[in-house]
Amino acid sequence: MAEIKVKNLHKEFGVGDDRVVALENVNLDIEGHVFVSIVGPSGCGKSTLLNILSGIETASSGTVDITQDSHDANPGYVFQAARLLPWRSVMENLMFVQKERDDEARARCQRYLDMVQLGDKGDKFPGELSGGMQQRVGIARAFSIEPDVLFMDEPFSHLDAITARSLRRELHEMWKQTKKTVLFVTHDVGEAVELSNRILVFAKGGKLEDDITVDLPFPRDPSDDAVAVAKAQVLRKFEELDLLAT
Amino acid sequence: MTAAAMDSRPRVPFYRRPVAARILMPIAVIVVWYLVYWTLGSRIFEPPHRVFEFMWNELTLETRLRNGKGPSNLYQMFGLTVVRLFAGFAIAMVVGTVIGLAMGLSKSVNAFFHDWVMAVLAMPALVWALFLGLVFGPQGNQAPIYACILAGIPFVIINVREGVRNTPKELFDMARAFGVPQNKITRNVLLPSLMPFLFAAVRYAFSVGWKGLVIAEVFASDSGMGWAIKFWYDAHQTRGVIGYALFFVAFALALEKLLFEPLAEKAFKWRPRVGDVGVVEEQFLLDQTVEGALEVEQFTGGESDG
Ligand SMILES: Nc1ncnc2c1ncn2[C@@H]1O[C@H](COP(=O)(O)OP(=O)(O)O)[C@@H](O)[C@H]1O
Ligand SMILES: [Mg+2]
Repeated sequence: MAEIKVKNLHKEFGVGDDRVVALENVNLDIEGHVFVSIVGPSGCGKSTLLNILSGIETASSGTVDITQDSHDANPGYVFQAARLLPWRSVMENLMFVQKERDDEARARCQRYLDMVQLGDKGDKFPGELSGGMQQRVGIARAFSIEPDVLFMDEPFSHLDAITARSLRRELHEMWKQTKKTVLFVTHDVGEAVELSNRILVFAKGGKLEDDITVDLPFPRDPSDDAVAVAKAQVLRKFEELDLLAT
Repeated sequence: MTAAAMDSRPRVPFYRRPVAARILMPIAVIVVWYLVYWTLGSRIFEPPHRVFEFMWNELTLETRLRNGKGPSNLYQMFGLTVVRLFAGFAIAMVVGTVIGLAMGLSKSVNAFFHDWVMAVLAMPALVWALFLGLVFGPQGNQAPIYACILAGIPFVIINVREGVRNTPKELFDMARAFGVPQNKITRNVLLPSLMPFLFAAVRYAFSVGWKGLVIAEVFASDSGMGWAIKFWYDAHQTRGVIGYALFFVAFALALEKLLFEPLAEKAFKWRPRVGDVGVVEEQFLLDQTVEGALEVEQFTGGESDG
């Protein structure tokens, strides 16, 4: 079972007048197969947190500790833009992140392409696919390394509402089947309530302001009363923290 | 109903297809050429059939250039020029890539070289030719090779520098987040992202270097294709000047069709539309500008995230 421990995490960019505090004294403890959403206004350090957790950025101070079932496992990452290699086929994009280039890896990649309904698109180049399909490839890539921990940074925000909705359903299904620990950044409170067990609310200046548990059964229909109530609760929290204005 | 009527595809008549226009062009040129020849009535300006006859005689070694003990036929001249071209091209590529990489990676190195690259670029090839002729004399290969290097190297430097500056950071970050080893990142991210820029550099170094080289052969050499053009010029033989100029163009076209186009096709298969490739695709015979070299399109994997 995966566990993420963050202690006194601090991150700033630049020096002097350009100094920006992206994360301030963040403490976190995430354990087990949970779906955690991170919400907050733009510029509050959400991406920076994922980047530090995934090793793209280094912390200014504090510690980050990720324990996984297999100790050499690597977390998966789904980005806002799909970030595929445009000069490699869809299949090669998935193979690019595999540890081994063997038949087993190839079969696994094919399985996850099937799961995002792109099983027949392995030979295509990313430029030949629509934005929604490219994002699906990005999701398949992250799942294909079968990580215990999955980071997702506003993966649906570039997509149209209908595509985003169907991908949310797919993602929920995949999460249910594979039972990963997911850290999911979004600025869409409805999306957070629909998908997560837990919602972390960040405020400007990179402060973790609130930690809300959403205890509703899945699947959650956004038009369902209980879901609407939970969403209203989170939004009220935003109002209290004065986050809506920013 | 006839078979033709059953074929429902709209058929574009031959004369309206682009290929017809393409064939029409050389015919039009030859017609105009004859018209000018007849109206001019000049004995110096020669008609197409004499030029083609001359070229045929060159190809079959009927005529000889009088060049003392030096090379005296088309193939020897051509061989010399091609050897010089490849030497100059290779040196321009290697030195230009090193300087371009350094300029792309370091602001100080960029500041150090920048004005000099622009100065070399601003200097007409003719001035290099005259200057190099004075320095090295007409014998040997030095003047033409240096002219080829000086003409081509600014384009190599600028393209490589832009390539380094445009490496897709978000793809490197992605690879790092997935824990992909560095050598795999180099092969699958860095090199492919540099490819269009290196390809543009190769094309420019060849096409611009080739022109610089021939100018140097005209003014500062006693051998080669450029020298042959000058030889026929001194002999007041229009057919020789035009004939050798056509050999020159034929070589450039052959290189474009047989080497660069197939290579580009293979290397950039992943691009959605071939027509998009801009600078990389079709510049071999066009006049080159700095802006041209800088037009190399960006092709990063996607918008950067917020
Ligand atoms: N590489 C960087 N250099 C300088 N400042 C940065 C960098 N990355 C992020 N920042 C700053 O850190 C803050 C948090 O950014 P980010 O984590 O991207 O916010 P979010 O994802 O919540 O919108 C912002 O003020 C942003 O301008
Ligand atoms: Mg962000």
